[in-house]
Amino acid sequence: MAIGIIANPASGKDIRRLVSSATTIDNYEKVNIVERIVKAVIALSNEKIYFMPDSFMIGFTVIDDLKISGEDVSNLEVLQMPMSGSMYDTVYAAEIMEQLEVGCIIVLGGDGTSRAAAKGLKRKTPLLSVSTGTNNVYPRLVEGTVVGMAATALTHMDDVSKCCIKDKRIEIYVNGVMKDIALIDATVSADDYIGARAIWEAKKIRAIVASRCHPASIGFSAIPGAMTIIKDTDDIGVCVIPSENGTSVMAAIAAGTLEKMTLGDPVIMKLNEPLELTFDEKCMIALDGEREVKVRPGEKIEFKITKEGPYRVLVRETIEEAQRLGFFRTKDK
Amino acid sequence: MAGKKETIRDLYTTMRRIREFETCASNLFAEGKIPGFVHLYLGEEAIATGVCANLKGDDYITSTHRGHGHIIAKGGDTKFMMAELFGKATGYCRGKGGSMHIADGSRGIIGANGIVGAGQSISTGVGLTILLHKTDQVCVCFFGDGSTNQATFHESLNLASIWNLPIVFVCENNGYGISLPQSKHQKVKDVADRAPAYGIPGVVVDGNDVFAVSEAAAEAIKRAREGKGPTLVECKTYRQHGHFEGDPAIYKPKEEQEAWLKKDPVKRMVKYMLEEADFTQAEVDAVDKAAQDELKEAIKFAEDSPYPAPETGVEDVYDDIVEEVRDR
Repeated sequence: MAIGIIANPASGKDIRRLVSSATTIDNYEKVNIVERIVKAVIALSNEKIYFMPDSFMIGFTVIDDLKISGEDVSNLEVLQMPMSGSMYDTVYAAEIMEQLEVGCIIVLGGDGTSRAAAKGLKRKTPLLSVSTGTNNVYPRLVEGTVVGMAATALTHMDDVSKCCIKDKRIEIYVNGVMKDIALIDATVSADDYIGARAIWEAKKIRAIVASRCHPASIGFSAIPGAMTIIKDTDDIGVCVIPSENGTSVMAAIAAGTLEKMTLGDPVIMKLNEPLELTFDEKCMIALDGEREVKVRPGEKIEFKITKEGPYRVLVRETIEEAQRLGFFRTKDK
Repeated sequence: MAGKKETIRDLYTTMRRIREFETCASNLFAEGKIPGFVHLYLGEEAIATGVCANLKGDDYITSTHRGHGHIIAKGGDTKFMMAELFGKATGYCRGKGGSMHIADGSRGIIGANGIVGAGQSISTGVGLTILLHKTDQVCVCFFGDGSTNQATFHESLNLASIWNLPIVFVCENNGYGISLPQSKHQKVKDVADRAPAYGIPGVVVDGNDVFAVSEAAAEAIKRAREGKGPTLVECKTYRQHGHFEGDPAIYKPKEEQEAWLKKDPVKRMVKYMLEEADFTQAEVDAVDKAAQDELKEAIKFAEDSPYPAPETGVEDVYDDIVEEVRDR
């Protein structure tokens, strides 16, 4: 089975480099990471690999580099698809890759990139998210070589259930119409335009809904995480709302930025049960850290935690299962 | 800034004044009324507007050959600008500089510049002056993607970072260096990727969204004012006309041009005002009308003004030396 690779050339460059001490990853480093992934795939079984096309031409650069190094690049292909230079490239690429029945889609970027890929997936195509952005909870920092090993192993397994979990997601409805999804958190802020997308001022936050939360996370899910811990495997979510008479907590809302917030008691959200909120001012809902959905005063917003998220690859478990199955043994002595 | 109707009106007013100035300049050039070269800022209005909205009157800017937008956004007078484009004695440079040399020291406009990348070196000097005078001023240096291959870019970022100068380097990445697409003149796609090489932050923003530009500029200017040193802000945008007026821009693919026209910053702002910010069409029209009236007046001023007298030809070549410098 083939493997898909989506590398977001825009991740790791937004305003968070100014308002916090967020990581900077240039596009050439992304080329390096993808190259290491591909080399591992070629070394293990030379599966077909599809790359999402992008403005930095990460896929083409990797193919050129490997060709010069004498590697077999006959199974490497950059998808031919229209490009918009926006997150919809990721959505569309994930959709195409799923139609091509790849065994795994590797996504390099931040929470937002994984969210975009999840929007494009309709079936149970495993998603392997690798962190290159900031404030990341969903994608993990994993060495590219190991990512390539795990993805290849996955495509050779008859049963991947031990290596993947079905994730939760947050569905956002405005006036009864589903507007978008988030994987980790949906944060209502007192902004009335998208602007530089990221939000970084705690004083503007009006509510946070999280599908999982932990005090060790970076980003808005760390705020409820300072009061309660909800794991990715728990069939619940949480909502917190700032309240002057509530409990004060410190949380890492961005890399290097701990902010104090005073919150009401966390409201535990059961699966598939919508939580309704309205606000008397214009707001934006930031999805996994980026302003996306505009809400007018008085509009009914519903947040629903569901199990309709992507089928996420657990890298370590995949590698261990592959080892048990003898995947890394060679026939020659 | 969010939700403040007057601030939104001010931002739109600046964008609309730039758009009107450039549209008039384009038409006047086509009619043969403007001598020399004119490089227009059409399509890039959100950048100068979003950045300069965060500057104080005594802050500085350095500009480029495509400088009309920067000068208007920093408070330049469109009458004197238009007179300069006409080559008239009432212009900013008494009609001897033309479009590419407009400056207004009283407003911190250190000058447009015909040499690609020259503003970077000048801004470094301005930044050093601010540092030595120990004021809280800031210098914003505007430049294009093509200039980031010049030595001036690298030398300036190096010095500015070593000395922690209060400079915001604003790259207006419109995708072309004259007629050469960015992909054919540099390997990096994001100029901001070059910032870490100089130990400074680099960010990428949508240069056609005045709010995105303003938010990034506000943070970068704050850093500079607080003594935290320079920042590189890359604004992705598109030049709607050719490199200069008269350039048919046949090197720009039609689909690319059409896609970017859909992202026109002025139209986006109007859409936002009408749909999200409670403006009526009449309020938008009033701003448009005021900009049109201002430009009509500026053009009349330019047309009615005299050309510089021949005997003034060698005047204004050198300024008088500042006495405190002579003593050194």
